[in-house]
Amino acid sequence: MTTAADRPRHVGARVERIEDTRLLSGGARYIDDIRLARMLHLRFVRAEMAHARILGIDIGALGDLQHPTRVFTGADIGGLAIKAHQDVPEFQYSEQPLLARDRVRFVGEPVAAVLADDPYIAEDAAELVFVDYDPLEVVASMEAALDPASPPLFDGWNGNVFVERQMKGGDIERARAAAAHIIRRTYSTHRQAGVPMEGRGVVARYDPADRFLTVWSSTQIPHLVRTYIAEELGFPEQRLRVVAPDVGGGFGVKGQVFSEEVLVAWLALETGRPVKWIEDRREHLLASIHARDHRHTLEAYVAADGRILGLKADISVDVGAYSTFPFTAAGDPGMAAKVMPGPYDFQHYEATFRALATNKCPIGTYRGVGRPSAVFAQERLMDDIADELGIDPIELRLRNVVRVFPYTNALGFTYDPGSYAECLEKARELLADDIAEAASLRGHPERRVGVGIACFIEQSAHGTPDFTRRRVPIETGYIAARVAMTPDGGAVVDIGLQSHGQGHETVMAQVAADALGIAPGDVHVRHGDTLTTPYSVGTWGSRGGPLGGGAVHVAASEIAEKLRAIAAHLLQASEREITLGGGRAFVTAAPDRHIPIARLTRAALRNVDRLPKGMAPGLEAQCSLDGPRDGTYSNAVHAAVVEIELATAKMRLKRFIAVEDCGRILNPLVVDGQVRGGIVQGIGSAMFEQFVYDEECQPRTVTFADYLLPLAPEIPTIEVHHIETPTPLTPLGAKGLGEGGAIGPAAAIANAVADALEVPVSSTPLNADALWRLINR
Amino acid sequence: MIEITLVVNGDRRSLRVEARRLLADVLREEFDLAGVHIGCAQGSCGCCTVHVDGVPRLSCLTFAVQCDGKSVRTVEDIGGPAAEHALQQAFRRAHALQCGYCTPGFIMTLAPFVEAMATENRLPDENEIRDAMSGNICRCTGYQGIVEAVRQAIAERIGTGAPA
Ligand code: FES
Ligand code: FES
Repeated sequence: MTTAADRPRHVGARVERIEDTRLLSGGARYIDDIRLARMLHLRFVRAEMAHARILGIDIGALGDLQHPTRVFTGADIGGLAIKAHQDVPEFQYSEQPLLARDRVRFVGEPVAAVLADDPYIAEDAAELVFVDYDPLEVVASMEAALDPASPPLFDGWNGNVFVERQMKGGDIERARAAAAHIIRRTYSTHRQAGVPMEGRGVVARYDPADRFLTVWSSTQIPHLVRTYIAEELGFPEQRLRVVAPDVGGGFGVKGQVFSEEVLVAWLALETGRPVKWIEDRREHLLASIHARDHRHTLEAYVAADGRILGLKADISVDVGAYSTFPFTAAGDPGMAAKVMPGPYDFQHYEATFRALATNKCPIGTYRGVGRPSAVFAQERLMDDIADELGIDPIELRLRNVVRVFPYTNALGFTYDPGSYAECLEKARELLADDIAEAASLRGHPERRVGVGIACFIEQSAHGTPDFTRRRVPIETGYIAARVAMTPDGGAVVDIGLQSHGQGHETVMAQVAADALGIAPGDVHVRHGDTLTTPYSVGTWGSRGGPLGGGAVHVAASEIAEKLRAIAAHLLQASEREITLGGGRAFVTAAPDRHIPIARLTRAALRNVDRLPKGMAPGLEAQCSLDGPRDGTYSNAVHAAVVEIELATAKMRLKRFIAVEDCGRILNPLVVDGQVRGGIVQGIGSAMFEQFVYDEECQPRTVTFADYLLPLAPEIPTIEVHHIETPTPLTPLGAKGLGEGGAIGPAAAIANAVADALEVPVSSTPLNADALWRLINR
Repeated sequence: MIEITLVVNGDRRSLRVEARRLLADVLREEFDLAGVHIGCAQGSCGCCTVHVDGVPRLSCLTFAVQCDGKSVRTVEDIGGPAAEHALQQAFRRAHALQCGYCTPGFIMTLAPFVEAMATENRLPDENEIRDAMSGNICRCTGYQGIVEAVRQAIAERIGTGAPA
């Protein structure tokens, strides 16, 4: 026990991570490290055509292997599917069968599952399965999806629009009539993938002795996976356990229920043997989920002084071939439409948004979900307005940002207090020299420097009402935590989150330790296992710190009350006089009168005769904490300084600055890591990563040789500055911050490029090819 | 099947493997070394880096039979279960890891770099450090913590001259 050397306050301190020793020493156990006796290995045969009828599947060649194998196809699995329906009348219903039935709709769609007792043999066998396809016309673009002449992807569908809806507030016509300037632009962000370094994977085992099914999955949402599998397979949920072991990155990509999770569970039941599937990198790029494929047309109604009066948006997203669970095909366009007003104060807004079906990999959640694209459009528009009106871009934003909180926007969403103007002022101060350098190089024959900023807010930790409103199959937004103390004075925290790099084991331990007066090292945090943790939605939407931390705080504080009561009884003091800290309970005014917390826990759990009269034994509490109605709103300004060599179109990112406000900071080490990691992903989105399909929807970027991730030499030091505006809406004052880093970079970098080259920039990626075109337009 | 002998983390063992078995799979399956991670199996991410006769190698591009008679070292042997190597400790201090999936690969790539710089008694600049890790991808940290950890580990080794 390290309680004696305990520091009084852990929340807010740079506490080094408890999980690191395991991760640094090879002691972590990820999905592929799970090995079970008699295990079968699964390899998929995946569609090679983007749109085709399956005429036949021939497994005759498998005999050549001289090794036992089993093959399952769509004909074997009945109606099992991923069903991700948005419960609104406009939504066209579709299902994603676990294995394609009759027809494939994107390259990479699973067509057959091949099982063998060795993974190499399973791979050999999958290569011997011959699928006979009859090609169908491919729907390859948003234009094609909107073209009534294109074939519908699903029987009975009318066109290829999953859903088209509107959101509005205020009176857009009034804003238009009052405008001195009307500025209309179209912006687009390209398709990419999330790419955690560990791919996905599923292992399932059924034990007939106790009729218990265990599914291990590299997932962010174990409870939702459990419920989906139980419902789809008709398996009793109380006998189903889903475990996320150590997870090697998720970034939202692993925040879906995937067809493979349901299928592997079904195969374990069907074969009576444990089944394991480990996704390879090609499969991941091809067929997990994609993101960011948006096109937005915005029309701003602006007063003569640069004040925005209203905004009209038309938002299309190419969501690929299937609706994904739980956010559905409407997730990305709906999110973009909802957040488009951003940090700016105007009361007239109208958005039309649609999800378009094409023969591509489905779109799902990836860090920021819709917001990187929305902020790209919104913040490019701000610069375009500034340009047209001849106002400095930071000044234009300062004239428009919300300054009085709480603020209710045109759609009725209420923002909690933030520091929008302060972050802009701070960024302006930090950028003064770069702005001067950029100006001095205007018209330079060889090189240019540009400065760009993006100002944005990030709705996070959204509560249940936000999902009820959206009518998606994720019905809630809460996180539950259970805290129990052990007789030796330590504590176990069971939390319905799942950590895939966020440091939950440390942050939750800090929170519990502060409430209980013990050291973080004496708190054991468990997560990612439905058997040990209370039902919750899992880790997504930046809810870990604000809601997870909040729930741990509330539960631990309840136990602390009881500890104080026991201490008061044993020290013969009044409860109000007792403070917990440093592993002891002491009389606040007379710290010499103290008792070790381990003695209190022992009394509560082992020597209950020492408890105050009438007090129940035990030291356990649980809290389920729902997110605030509209979530909390973190805010940030991202700034990029780029240098472009005109002859070669080579761009160097000279500086990247973040000034951010995520409310109360629980652990600065973790916060900075999240911000920097997110920013580098955003830089990847802006400059390097692009998932390319040809006109037949054949993928062109299925290895890391073609799909370029940012590497260390291309990335500058990321300067992070914090402003702390605690929110009154969560118990610790924390707001979500997991996604923010990824939201701003594309906009900031595009604005910097536009500034450097003095040309409008309307789309990503900003790779050498795109820059070449911008320079030579 | 081919009979080979590997000395893995000091443990000499003879085994029969198919010619096509990757070193990564043999280390993971036969030697139970979960610290060998596969991020791409295409030679692009560095997650699977181990040392073969002291030199960093991608175990996803190496067949086990190519290592017959050689000595292989993995992250498990670098600083033990408590991760006590100077670089591992610096990783912890500098928050150079998040999900930890890329981490063993970075440690195996960078530990020899730290040694080499310490031997030269030289603190490299940031660009050199970033170049030294250009064959490894980290998707979580944005690299900054890793750069800082390498700097700290080298500075510490130069300062104290402590052995690995
Ligand atoms: S797994 Fe070997 S380089 Fe990626
Ligand atoms: S720590 Fe997650 S990939 Fe590097």
